[in-house]
Amino acid sequence: MPTNSPTPLFPTTRREFLQLSGRGIGLLAFSRFAPAFLVNSALASTPAPEKDRSILVLVQLAGGNDGLNTLVPFEDANYYRLRPTLAIAKEKVLRASGTLGLHPSCAALHRLLQDGKLAIVQNVGYPNPNRSHFRSSEIWETASASSEFLATGWIGRFMDNACAGQPAGAAGPVGVHISNGVPQSFLSASVHPTFGLLPGAGNHHENEESRQLLETLANQTGAAGNDSATFLRHTLMDSLVTEKKVQRVLGGYQPSATYPRNPFAASLRNVAALIAAGLPTRVYFVSLGGFDTHSNQANQQANLLTTLSEGLAAFQRDLEDHKLDGQVATMTFSEFGRRPSENESRGTDHGTAAPLFVMGSRVQGGLHGTAPALNLAPNEDLAFTTDFRSVYATMLDRWLACPSEPVLGGKFRGLPIV
Amino acid sequence: MQLSLSAAEAWQPLPAAEWNTEAARHLLRRAGWSDPQPEAGRATADGLPLTLRRLFPADPGLFPEPRLIAHLRQDTPEMARNLTSTSPGADKQALLREARERTQLAVQDMSIKWLQYAAQPRNMAFAKWVLFLSDVYVVGIDKVKNAALVWQHFDILARNALGSAPELAKAVSRSPAMITYLDLNQSKRGAPNENFARELFELFLLGEGNYTENDIKEAARAFTGYRQQFGVFRFAPGQHDPATKTIFGRGGRFTGDDVIDLAFQQPAAGAFLPHEMVKFYLSDSPLPPAYLNELGAWWRRRNYDLRELAQRFFGSRLFFAPEFRGEFIKSPVQLYLGLVQDLGLSVAPLPRQVLVPLRQMGQTLFNPPNVRGWVGGRTWINSATLSVRRSLVESLFAPIDEALLNADEQLELVAAKAAGNGNLTVPDELLAPLARLDAAAATDRLLGNFLALPAAPPFRDAVRQFLAPVHADGPPTLRRLRRAAVTLLQSPEYQLC
Repeated sequence: MPTNSPTPLFPTTRREFLQLSGRGIGLLAFSRFAPAFLVNSALASTPAPEKDRSILVLVQLAGGNDGLNTLVPFEDANYYRLRPTLAIAKEKVLRASGTLGLHPSCAALHRLLQDGKLAIVQNVGYPNPNRSHFRSSEIWETASASSEFLATGWIGRFMDNACAGQPAGAAGPVGVHISNGVPQSFLSASVHPTFGLLPGAGNHHENEESRQLLETLANQTGAAGNDSATFLRHTLMDSLVTEKKVQRVLGGYQPSATYPRNPFAASLRNVAALIAAGLPTRVYFVSLGGFDTHSNQANQQANLLTTLSEGLAAFQRDLEDHKLDGQVATMTFSEFGRRPSENESRGTDHGTAAPLFVMGSRVQGGLHGTAPALNLAPNEDLAFTTDFRSVYATMLDRWLACPSEPVLGGKFRGLPIV
Repeated sequence: MQLSLSAAEAWQPLPAAEWNTEAARHLLRRAGWSDPQPEAGRATADGLPLTLRRLFPADPGLFPEPRLIAHLRQDTPEMARNLTSTSPGADKQALLREARERTQLAVQDMSIKWLQYAAQPRNMAFAKWVLFLSDVYVVGIDKVKNAALVWQHFDILARNALGSAPELAKAVSRSPAMITYLDLNQSKRGAPNENFARELFELFLLGEGNYTENDIKEAARAFTGYRQQFGVFRFAPGQHDPATKTIFGRGGRFTGDDVIDLAFQQPAAGAFLPHEMVKFYLSDSPLPPAYLNELGAWWRRRNYDLRELAQRFFGSRLFFAPEFRGEFIKSPVQLYLGLVQDLGLSVAPLPRQVLVPLRQMGQTLFNPPNVRGWVGGRTWINSATLSVRRSLVESLFAPIDEALLNADEQLELVAAKAAGNGNLTVPDELLAPLARLDAAAATDRLLGNFLALPAAPPFRDAVRQFLAPVHADGPPTLRRLRRAAVTLLQSPEYQLC
């Protein structure tokens, strides 16, 4: 059952906020730099969000995951020609169809695939691919064309479009990221309440007296009136309210599934805790790094895919046991796939298209899109067959129920994945 | 951001008449960590040109090789021989584990030693400049795996830090850590690895958009044959591709060094490092291209001399312009070392208390997140990192509980005390002089010492009221002073420099 705390985790009205203030939030209630969600709610005075609103969890595979060894075309002689040492033997592949199968480290994901809870979108990319980590991440996170530079992220624009004056922002953070720094996907034109967590951070003993002075100081124009100071003040006020409550939620959460012991799984456990607490958060972002396998790829990628696969499966099981799985879809992305022909260091260099995963009880499981053609010369790259913005459009239109066109700046054909 | 100067005015030297205490403090905070006395007074009295020569001297004090690093360096060849001669199994696992643990310990020790070195006011500007260069020419211990190579990389940066930029780039291309980090040692004739060539153009010298994919492929061929073993660079002619390459539209039998010279002839080369300096030292808001091109063109005429560039930048009218005062978000390292300097502390030789908070705030020394380095600015700040910033301040005001330390830490602590290293946390005596003042005067001293800009009256009043004793006219108690200091250092204002 969803665990709903008797008092709301986040105040949804100014009155509730004032009530909470009486229990120790103090001067925050009178803040000119009140948490953004309060300011919004005061203006919007709209009803509280429904509890069954759809949630998207983004999983970044940072570094560029090798798609060909994730979803293996085990009947294609070209694959074995291009990967003399790195190819996965046909008998080791976990079958997804008569010609394609998952890397042997993806056993947990393979079970989800058999249960119809995993969609695999094949050969996703974009025209005129860029092979720089940073530029290509930027393209994926801002959902821009290859030649276009956007200052806002696609989730940021989703918030701009879906959350302006709407209740989503009124009762808590609309986006939560568990990563170092704010993901570029979250950058938006207007200010939305988002919250960041670091795995393992927190746990400091506070002196109540100076906490109140800090609230006062954060509420002053202080010494500096510049943008950086205003930004810091907003962040501090937001976090003063949110952090106590979030720590309480995470500390008290009883997962139903056993998560593997690694930071990535811990991040997913924390996402499950926040979802179970009934936060109105629509988008969560977690990151798993290390996919930039230029040399000695075999072991590295196997370990990473194990971490990914087992972490995602535990998360799905936990959501199911809490009966929250109907609300949540989880999608992976990576800045690019890797070069089809392996290099001389038993690794692969930066490439282009790759498959991505969408997991959830309400997704249309199985393979989507088409496999890449592998009749390539050495060092030639894959030609993508599904534009990543079609996947985004699908998740926006059909999952988050937000029109995709204003977010993506154009019409992209949806896919039958949700 | 509205700029108060034109591109043509921006990089002119600051007129002597505009040099004052506040300008000196701004320079020390930005070029170094903070503005401790007596350095601030001395800089004010000496004037800008002399201060710049002292901050960026001809013979800077280098970061000496820490003992654990030297031992690791000396033992590395033997450790490698043992590994090769041991067949797979438990023994080999043990050797691998030992190598990992030694590097881990050596990195920890090097991080503490570097912070201790960098905290010295006489070293701070140079240490930060090398940190800046390491944020351009990035390597990370995660991939390099041997701490001795990472120390050596920093040493290579330091030895070339205030000389010619093309020479620096050439030295970096031979840095064993870089050769490992960007896979140059895997790159050979017929099978060039593009990793180094790509980042050389994109992240070290020119910036995205100023080269073609083909330039990268061809440049990668020029860097084939660069090898390193146990920290010694070696050029392997048999692995090098000596044939003709076409790079930036020019053909020739180019070597790696030729590629670097060709890159510095590109129009984008002059403005690239200034652009990185603005991001690292000046502001989150990028300068318009015209400003960067102006400085870039000047720097190119000075033959890409790094010391001249540093002095031009930090001595410029733009650097001191009012829009850049007190508006830059401190990096975790700057926050920590600034606290150490502002509170007259020494860096505690305790990794758990010093390095863990730095990691939680997003900055692990010698291990940036990836080859781009730290993005900095606003990305340092979110609710989680702010909360770590706050607890870091608390920890500096709480005495170290020696009973909770493990044996190694206790030994380190004893050694630090024996070396007369000074306070590791803030003692009451530090605040005692303020307890003899009235609340208003004590407030002014705290604000004046800690904040980059004068505080607005309501902010000042809040602190004064907090300090004001129940019975008027008396001095504030030590306990209240301590809490006020802690809170000021946790405030949004103190995160700015």
